Amino acid sequence: MADKTTKTIRVDYLARVEGEGALDLEISDGRVVSAELRIFEPPRFFEAFLRGRGYAELPDIVARICGICPIAYQMSAVHAIENAFGVKVDGQLRALRRLIYCGEWIESHALHVVMLHAPDFLGFPDGIRMARDHGEAVRNTLTLKKAGNELMRVVGGREIHPVNVKAGGFHRVPTRSELAPVAESLARARDLAIGMVRWVATFPFPDFEQDYEFVALRHPDEYPLNEGRLVSSRDIDIDIADFETEFEERHVAHSTALHSLVKRRGAYLVGPLARYALNFDRLPASVRELAREVGLDSVCRNPFKSIIVRGLELVFACDEALRLIAAYEPPDLAAVPIEPRAGTGFGCTEAPRGICWHRYDFQADGSIERARIVPPTSQNQPTIEADLAAVATTVLDQPDDVIRHRCEQTIRNYDPCISCATHFLKLTVRRT
Amino acid sequence: MLPKVLVVAVGNPDRADDGVGALAATGLAGRLPPDVSLVARRGDILSLIEEWAGFDAVIFIDAAASMGMPGRIHRIDAGAGELPNEVSFASSHAFGLAEAIALAAALRSLPDTVIVYAIEGASFDGGAAMTPEVTAAAAEVADRVVAEVGRLRCREGKVMSDA
Repeated sequence: MADKTTKTIRVDYLARVEGEGALDLEISDGRVVSAELRIFEPPRFFEAFLRGRGYAELPDIVARICGICPIAYQMSAVHAIENAFGVKVDGQLRALRRLIYCGEWIESHALHVVMLHAPDFLGFPDGIRMARDHGEAVRNTLTLKKAGNELMRVVGGREIHPVNVKAGGFHRVPTRSELAPVAESLARARDLAIGMVRWVATFPFPDFEQDYEFVALRHPDEYPLNEGRLVSSRDIDIDIADFETEFEERHVAHSTALHSLVKRRGAYLVGPLARYALNFDRLPASVRELAREVGLDSVCRNPFKSIIVRGLELVFACDEALRLIAAYEPPDLAAVPIEPRAGTGFGCTEAPRGICWHRYDFQADGSIERARIVPPTSQNQPTIEADLAAVATTVLDQPDDVIRHRCEQTIRNYDPCISCATHFLKLTVRRT
Repeated sequence: MLPKVLVVAVGNPDRADDGVGALAATGLAGRLPPDVSLVARRGDILSLIEEWAGFDAVIFIDAAASMGMPGRIHRIDAGAGELPNEVSFASSHAFGLAEAIALAAALRSLPDTVIVYAIEGASFDGGAAMTPEVTAAAAEVADRVVAEVGRLRCREGKVMSDA
């Protein structure tokens, strides 16, 4: 009988993700016995220091949770405020919210697809070294990102941590003439995004699929951004207010971010693959055709192909922003009046990385009594670990650096924002 | 023909010493030749790459992490490779000027001359006041940038007319 061998592969600090984390992989007798995504970024206590703050401060405070997806936090927060105070925002104000969300998706997806994720498939250590051989793709990404920035600046007041969002609407709404040059940039960006989808679809993809439980918002008419019911690919179909009846967060010793689970079953997946699988029929026909053209079915279970789905969502975001700008008529009021009252409000919107769920208990004066924020990366953590164990199993006979690379790539499939989740990667592989 | 020169002040004026670039830019107002462009940037640094593509020379003014002497001014000739070699795109949260210059170089869109004036800071706290040594350095950097622009125009202008 062969001697028992133990092998440990460690990645101490994961690059090309947001925040600080590590991976410990333990292999015993040629079998993966544990795969732990260790998140060691210190907790940031946002929920604690929101207590006692007024509702009007909420959108600007939660925006600071993330520099890449501040709109997701702002939107979930303002929806929760309006839900608690019985206010409905619709018409052009609702459309403007969708528009600014498109800006965030464009910025985030463009950056991740080309600068953070593509180097994994093409054998480069990072986007800078990739730029020497793939200059056109990188230049196109900068143009795409710039279009997203423009949209954020015109609707949100500035590119990073926008300051124009408030409960009830906006502090100021843009004019049609301010949006006209943005539309020109977006039209070009859309063409570049289509080219990006065709490019990434040619990458070599590992033959790997998982039977995920996809979870995303679903709206009667739209590809989801701000609104919808919370549905899953199994049997979940609930109002966002019922999130806590189906889902729970658990503390695990190796992570400062909580793990989210479906109470009855366990790990689930949020983000582009889930949105796409549950809302393929809500995408514009042109995006659906592009998906077919690059060989993607209406459901994609290969997490490495999330790069293609992110690209398709990038095309959608450009399309949707152009549609909203074409139909835009400045509303008479920049915001619906708000009257605070005691109560609980819920908000759930689709951050680039997946659903971002908020719950706030307000006192009669509108101050926050309790806050609970469930960001997308913490929801994906158990699924990331399941993927890691399964992916590592397929490359166990390979040298450690191959295992390490494939594991890092697996984590980057999720575009994780660890800063949000704790508010990455150190890989340790132990072989016994 | 005179070279096209761009001066870029980088940093967030609301974060103490990180605002030294913006303060130096204030000190440069009205002191540069009219054909020299001066911009201040506090947002997405990636967007800079497209902006400097059409220039022969670019001068950056930015705050730097402290190495023990707040207000000390470092002049770095990035075009001559004086920036760190091992710059990588590790995270979009940590993307800074060095990464933007490295990316532009990889894209072969870096101007011939790239000078960085980096001023050591001591405090980068939100809403805090700039430290006195850094405030003083902003005025000195403005003087040095005016002189640098003069030298560049003189040198490059001569090279261009000789060519």
